[in-house]
Amino acid sequence: MVLRKRIRRILLENKGRYIGIFILIFIGSFSFIAFKGFSGNYERLINEFAQKNMQEDVSFTGYEQIEDISSLEQETGAIIDTHKYYDVPLHHERELRLISISHKVNIPSVITGRMPKYPREILLSPNFYDTYGYEIGDTIKINDDMFEVVGTVALPNYVFPLKYINDVIPPPGFGLGVIATDDMDVFPDAVTVYTARFTDRDNVKAQVTGLYNSITQKGLMLSEWMDASANKRIRMAWATISGSKAMSVPVPTAMFLLCCLIVGLMIWRMVRSESIIIGTLYAQGYRRKELLQHYLSIPLMVSFIAGLAGSLLALPTIYPTIKLMVTLYYIVPFDKVVHSLTDIVLGALMPVIFLGLASWAVIRKELAKSPAELMKGDIQKAKVNVLERTLKLDYLSFNNKFKVREQLRSIPRLIFLLFGVMAASFMMLIGFTINNSMTTVFSSEANTSFNYSWEYSFKEAKQGTPVSGTIPFNAIRSHPEGRESIEFYLTGISTDAPYVYDLVDGKGNELSKEQVNISYLLAKRLNLSIGDRITVVNKLDGKSYYLVIDGIAQTYAGQFIYMPLSDFNELIGMPTDSYKGVFSKATIEYSPEELSGIKDLKNMVNSMDELMMPMMMVVVSLTIIASIIGVIIIYLVTSLTIEESRGSISLLKVFGYRSKEIKRLILSGSSPFVIAGFILGIPVMLISATALYRYLGEMINLALPMILNPLHAVISFTLLYAVYEFTKLSCGRKLAAIPMSDALKAGME
Amino acid sequence: MFLSVANLTKSYQTGITTKVLKGLNMELGKGQIGVMLGPSGSGKSTLMNIIGGVDKADSGTVEVADVCVTDLNDNQLVEYRRGKVGFVFQFYNLIPNLTVAENIEVISNISKNPLPLDEILEAVGLTDKKNRFPRELSGGEQQRVSIARAIIKNPLLLLCDEPTGALDSNSSRGVLTLIQNINIQFGTTTLMITHNSAIADMAHTVYKLRDGKVAETAHNTELIPAERIEW
Repeated sequence: MVLRKRIRRILLENKGRYIGIFILIFIGSFSFIAFKGFSGNYERLINEFAQKNMQEDVSFTGYEQIEDISSLEQETGAIIDTHKYYDVPLHHERELRLISISHKVNIPSVITGRMPKYPREILLSPNFYDTYGYEIGDTIKINDDMFEVVGTVALPNYVFPLKYINDVIPPPGFGLGVIATDDMDVFPDAVTVYTARFTDRDNVKAQVTGLYNSITQKGLMLSEWMDASANKRIRMAWATISGSKAMSVPVPTAMFLLCCLIVGLMIWRMVRSESIIIGTLYAQGYRRKELLQHYLSIPLMVSFIAGLAGSLLALPTIYPTIKLMVTLYYIVPFDKVVHSLTDIVLGALMPVIFLGLASWAVIRKELAKSPAELMKGDIQKAKVNVLERTLKLDYLSFNNKFKVREQLRSIPRLIFLLFGVMAASFMMLIGFTINNSMTTVFSSEANTSFNYSWEYSFKEAKQGTPVSGTIPFNAIRSHPEGRESIEFYLTGISTDAPYVYDLVDGKGNELSKEQVNISYLLAKRLNLSIGDRITVVNKLDGKSYYLVIDGIAQTYAGQFIYMPLSDFNELIGMPTDSYKGVFSKATIEYSPEELSGIKDLKNMVNSMDELMMPMMMVVVSLTIIASIIGVIIIYLVTSLTIEESRGSISLLKVFGYRSKEIKRLILSGSSPFVIAGFILGIPVMLISATALYRYLGEMINLALPMILNPLHAVISFTLLYAVYEFTKLSCGRKLAAIPMSDALKAGME
Repeated sequence: MFLSVANLTKSYQTGITTKVLKGLNMELGKGQIGVMLGPSGSGKSTLMNIIGGVDKADSGTVEVADVCVTDLNDNQLVEYRRGKVGFVFQFYNLIPNLTVAENIEVISNISKNPLPLDEILEAVGLTDKKNRFPRELSGGEQQRVSIARAIIKNPLLLLCDEPTGALDSNSSRGVLTLIQNINIQFGTTTLMITHNSAIADMAHTVYKLRDGKVAETAHNTELIPAERIEW
């Protein structure tokens, strides 16, 4: 069809706009394939790893050994294994957690090198291996022995290699070392951990409860009980997968919908402005279908090429992203990336479907008119919409009246601008907010002024007066009744000395140690206020306790409830002067038999930089993408405004309006809508981020405060507004190019 | 002379060179009405565009109220159009999403001493329709808005390009009466393009253009009131 020749010309005449639409669709398809590909592959890797290497369903430690593991296995249907671990300090403030090889549950997977075959051989976690530049064949001095590095390893129970289960990120210098069981024997203080995985994969939760009951009924005293579902070393990766999955739908959908609006608007304008041509072609025998095909070919072509390009170019990014993640963050064996053909087809065809339908609806409506009606020309051009008609603007100056009318002239254009700016500001703000929340939590932990340096935990409860200079405490790992995923420590602390760190309420007043104090994040998560009652369940024995909240501690450093030690002991039925741990300012020489753990409180959280670097990269990337989207949207709207106001601009020039005056009248009217779009983006972002935080909180037992820093809001707005001003400036040339002859020839064709 | 055009030439390059004005000369006195007649392609619109400062001549001079328009640069032309010239177009060129009053305000907004809006609305008989949008008006009414818009700044020169070209005879008569009244009331020098030779009877001077030149100039000693023009 000879009409096809026009398509290239139309694309070239409006290249700026079509490039903009191309980029928006490209970003949509790219993000869809990238997020889906990443989350899909990562999910596959983790599932395969968990299944093949027998990831634990539960781990526990006891005060005594389980003598007959095989009968317990038969009774509960679980495969039960044991391993030992022991933390050894190395030079340069590095620390290795030595873990003995398991053969039934949490089987190590060699990533590079081989399994230890001979004594004094060690596999390292890839983060430790890479960070400190180890090579296979290197030796590490551990205590007085030299261990030879034989490769790198992934462990199903340390996908996220946290040192302590309540850590948010692995501390710097911390790594894992897998050694043979015999080699572990030289560390007599190594902790024995039991791990279990159920062969029947249905209803694992009930089987975990069954195992717990069997163990406690045998009278075995447990010191630690950790479900895999609450174990951040296992669950943290799932949060990333779920986050990535969640992002794979809204981002491209928002892009495609925005494109639908703008393409629909452009096609609508084109069809209307060409109504005489269409009418003439109709009258001369062209079929409606042929004309529909002609006008549909442009959006279909642009969306298909952009969708396909976005999808195909996203594919090569998946491998390096996963490679980076498996080396630095979530350690799983990684062999290859599997691409989903369905996703690629969807990535390429979704924009075609979205834009095709939008354009089809617009074109079909116009083509439904009779040839005679169409040949009358674009009579609709002069139509005034309801909003324009009803709005009384007499009280405004002419310039403002003109600006308002210019904006109201095209409601779809206005909606596009509003939603576009909202989308751009949403992306910028959410980047800053996530960064802000993380920074607040970590700086809060890192900057917390601890009153003690060490925490010693005992295997068995002690009674009486503790060693001088220490403050005794007792704690249970617990969850609120009915909400097992929210895990925290209920801690009883002696009231004779200061807290581990000073706690203040929202007004800055120090909280009394004689009362029940809850941390702000936990209170917020449980929607608790002062005077509210909470039922706390001990994770180890399932017993419930009732507490009334007396104070809320304004700290972002963790989730906890503190209460006086004597009240705590009374509550859980222990002697009032008993304690299971002490905080101390100085090191104390307890015998290793007494201790179940030692924590260096002051060095617990000081890995801000490591975590903040990738966070900053996320924020910067989001800001750049948001700015690009902002530029495209504002450019598209501005160029459309200029195009739609071509006649008026030309006329104003004839009348003697100066360029600056025309620019101000035509282009500055969008400013309030850019501002409104930004303001509307704030609640949308807050609602979305709150939902995201809640979701992540449930998944990994991490409470993040929602903090929108006004400074960041100002920075985002300034950036967005600068983009708007820049776009206006660049569109000024477009405006200057409109000749006066347009007005002089108006109506002549 | 208020308006004098001397040896004006203009050609367009559209693959081939088309000479539109070929050394055109004309004059029009202050406060007079001039009418240009001529077939399509005779150069009427080109001449009017150059006089109005929206197009540039290749050579020759145009002087309006002692200003040599052909010597002005782009910025000076903007100021010239802004201060001295009013335009009335055949197809009205109203801005569709502005009301009648707002369309007139488009010009008063940039004028140093605009006439009062209500007075102008009264003069064109559109006081009761000032809040209507252009498409809610008849062709004649739209052209009256266009005239009101042109005269609100009290221009020295009113340029009308076929102001009745798109109107029926009754509406045309109304519009021409308005132009004539304005000429009498405000002393606005008016230059009008038309295909209708009957309109020539209301003009002081009539120019007949042919092949890019003024082929004939006629001066009417007695002017016919516009309402008496026969179609």
